[in-house]
Amino acid sequence: MLKDVSFTSVRTLFRLDLKSRFGTTHKRGVKYRLSQAMNVIFFLAVYAVLLLGMYYLTNIFVERSHLRLEFLVIISMATILIASVVATGNVIKNLYQNGDNELLLRFPVSGKEILLSKSIYCFLHNLVVCTLMMLPLYVTFGAVTKAPVGDYFSYIGVVLLSSLVPFFIANIIAVPVMKLMNAVKNKFVLVLIITIILLCLAFIIYLVSLGNVLTYMRDSKQSIFSPEMIARYKRFAEGAYPFRWYAELINGRRYGSLTGGALALRFLYIALMTAALGVAAYFITGHEYYKTILYGIQSQKATVGRKIKDKQRSVVHALLDKEFFLILRSFNYSFQYLAMAFAAPIMVFFCNRLAATMGTETVGAAIMPGINMMVLVIFVAVTVSFASTCISREGGCFYFTKVMPVSFRTQILVKFLLYSIVATLSVAISSIISGAYYTSDAGGHALTPVDAAAIWGIGEIVVLSLTALCMAADIKSPTFNVSGDGELVSANKNVALALVLGIFIAIVFGVVIMVCNFLPISIGGKVFSSQGNLGNVYLLLTGVSLIVLALSMLALFKGLDKRYLDIVP
Amino acid sequence: MLKVSHLKKIYPKSDRVAVDDISFELRPGEIFGFLGQNGAGKSTTIKCLTGILPFDSGTIEICGYDIVKEPIKAKMNMGYVPDNHSVYEKLTGREYVNYVADLYKVSSELRKERMDRYAKLFRLEFAMDKQIKSYSHGMKQKICIIAALIHEPKLWVLDEPMMGLDPQSTAEIIAHMREHCAKGNTVFFSSHNLDLVKKLCHRVAIVNEGHMLDLIDLADNEENKNNLEEKFFRITGTYDERLFEDYVAQESADMRPDLPASAERAEETAEETHEDAPAEETTGKAEEPEALSAEDMIPDEKEGETPAEE
Repeated sequence: MLKDVSFTSVRTLFRLDLKSRFGTTHKRGVKYRLSQAMNVIFFLAVYAVLLLGMYYLTNIFVERSHLRLEFLVIISMATILIASVVATGNVIKNLYQNGDNELLLRFPVSGKEILLSKSIYCFLHNLVVCTLMMLPLYVTFGAVTKAPVGDYFSYIGVVLLSSLVPFFIANIIAVPVMKLMNAVKNKFVLVLIITIILLCLAFIIYLVSLGNVLTYMRDSKQSIFSPEMIARYKRFAEGAYPFRWYAELINGRRYGSLTGGALALRFLYIALMTAALGVAAYFITGHEYYKTILYGIQSQKATVGRKIKDKQRSVVHALLDKEFFLILRSFNYSFQYLAMAFAAPIMVFFCNRLAATMGTETVGAAIMPGINMMVLVIFVAVTVSFASTCISREGGCFYFTKVMPVSFRTQILVKFLLYSIVATLSVAISSIISGAYYTSDAGGHALTPVDAAAIWGIGEIVVLSLTALCMAADIKSPTFNVSGDGELVSANKNVALALVLGIFIAIVFGVVIMVCNFLPISIGGKVFSSQGNLGNVYLLLTGVSLIVLALSMLALFKGLDKRYLDIVP
Repeated sequence: MLKVSHLKKIYPKSDRVAVDDISFELRPGEIFGFLGQNGAGKSTTIKCLTGILPFDSGTIEICGYDIVKEPIKAKMNMGYVPDNHSVYEKLTGREYVNYVADLYKVSSELRKERMDRYAKLFRLEFAMDKQIKSYSHGMKQKICIIAALIHEPKLWVLDEPMMGLDPQSTAEIIAHMREHCAKGNTVFFSSHNLDLVKKLCHRVAIVNEGHMLDLIDLADNEENKNNLEEKFFRITGTYDERLFEDYVAQESADMRPDLPASAERAEETAEETHEDAPAEETTGKAEEPEALSAEDMIPDEKEGETPAEE
């Protein structure tokens, strides 16, 4: 295959690829460098938190439950599987769906050279992902088990060896996965349902793991796993091939009582398996690449159809339909908005439960109404922040909103109506689930019915205020930075502003309720609030919320016609 | 039908007057051309009269309704086709036209009859139930035209409508402009195509640097028709005798350069050279069987999945 390949062309294509991704031909200003630096710091901070979590997780398995080899089996399996998913996405995106395939095929370079240069990028990307994911886990394991220096070299070797597997698997399954994705991508409701389920599952797993880590941190003597659970882990690890081979290669001598010959055999198994995957990937990619990208270029615009009747609807109905379908039919928008809105009740419930467990034990049950309020408003703010792109999302079609014989006020009202329906439903379901649980025996009566009703009511008012403010912000400064099919390239600054504002309101309202439930407050000799008696506090917050709502509506609708007319894309 | 009086527009944060004191009036049954170079103020004027841009002074009336004071009534009488053919790409063609029809309150029966008629006229029937994102440039332009006509507007405004259209579609749009006017409606369009404007329009306005420099009657004036190009070049300050003669010659004569006498021989020589060259020296790597001659590798497209007709 390589006999017709010019490595000069491959190198040039690879450098071109890197330059288009990371290079820049002109100097950037201080603002850009600052934002880049902030991004790096943010990434490092998140990574540091993850490493800390890994450290506690390793401790839970290794020190507390003595599941050393089993832990290695589990992490090698989890990391290889996660890396395979990431690599598959990367291969699909770069090899098959990249828009530059069409451009590159016009150059005097062969398909083989394009494939090779892109594969080099995918491989390096996979290596970086695997190293960042696997190495800290193995190093943490070494640190916790006080492994000798030589083991650390074996960790590096196993990481390099393991990183090949996701890359080869990705190349083998990329085309079928892509075809599957193409088959379901226009099933918008199905995609939305799957997204909501995955989002909820990921969040629940995250919060349950976090809960376990926090439990571990609170009581370092308590065992996380029951004896049955430990036995189950051991049984699973015994049969979890090929992942057990990696674990044995790392620590089979120390924890598995394996001899040098047995370890060599494990290495041989891994080498043979990797080679087999490599050969399969080589032939499948070589066979599928050209016809897939040619087919992609030919049919990239092909979409499914939908037949409707030519039936007259009211103006409001038509505007609502259009707004909803444009959100539903975009994966990005439906994830950012609809999936978040529908998943919010589950997220709020589990977040409340975690906060309740931690807060009640450290501060006391009186914290619960405030926590509920805070968590609800934070998640609502995340959902509602989508409204802060209400104008920007019109993109190139913004002109039509000015040409149509419908007043700007009506158009904005309809958008407000749609966002309000979704957000108020989300708040209602969230409040009902949390309220029902915490006013019951199961929830330990952490909330009174008055608490639950007040949190719901105030939450609804806050959600309407935030929606109006988000929309007003986007009318003031929209950014029509859209991609080819009319979707926003990135969230604008209004989204960040909306989130900050929502979190601010959540903290202020939550803290006020918490403080008032702890400290009895009297005004002019009369008790304003005391523990379990927050009626006046809720009335006060309702009043404040209503004032904020009135001001938000004023900000949205006062002088709307002129402000809207002044928007020039 | 359309009355523009002393229109003036200055873009925010700009010293330049984009449109300065432009006035004209369109009559029922008239096709009116709007000519000018790039940046002359054509699109700005059109955006002002369609309600897209606010303006600094002057008045615009559509069918007697002031676009500022009674915008909804004014817009109800107008159909607009933009130059960038932006449409909601996630909607199907039928959904988009129905959406527009709803906004203009067109009854179910009327819209069905019109949609079928226009889809047939513009040969877009096969694509009406497909998402617009699968449409070609010309198809998007056509769906914009259908949407603009679905309420049979009295004033039909088109911003450079023929750009990117195939000859047949151009001919269909011209035919429909004439038909629209025959019903007593008015067509207002901007264009760079002097020949088209000369043949199609009753009157034409020439704008340059924001000013309307001339309003030329073409309907009953052969001299104006014949001199339109020269007038345009002179008015816009781009007249150069040699270039103008070239332009006129191109319009009236066959300008295809002759093939060199030895052309055939040159082609044969090139073929021979190509065949003789060693494989590694032929830079046509794209000629490798995998890369180019791979028709049989492309899966057959299902009927109706063809993304674009053009």
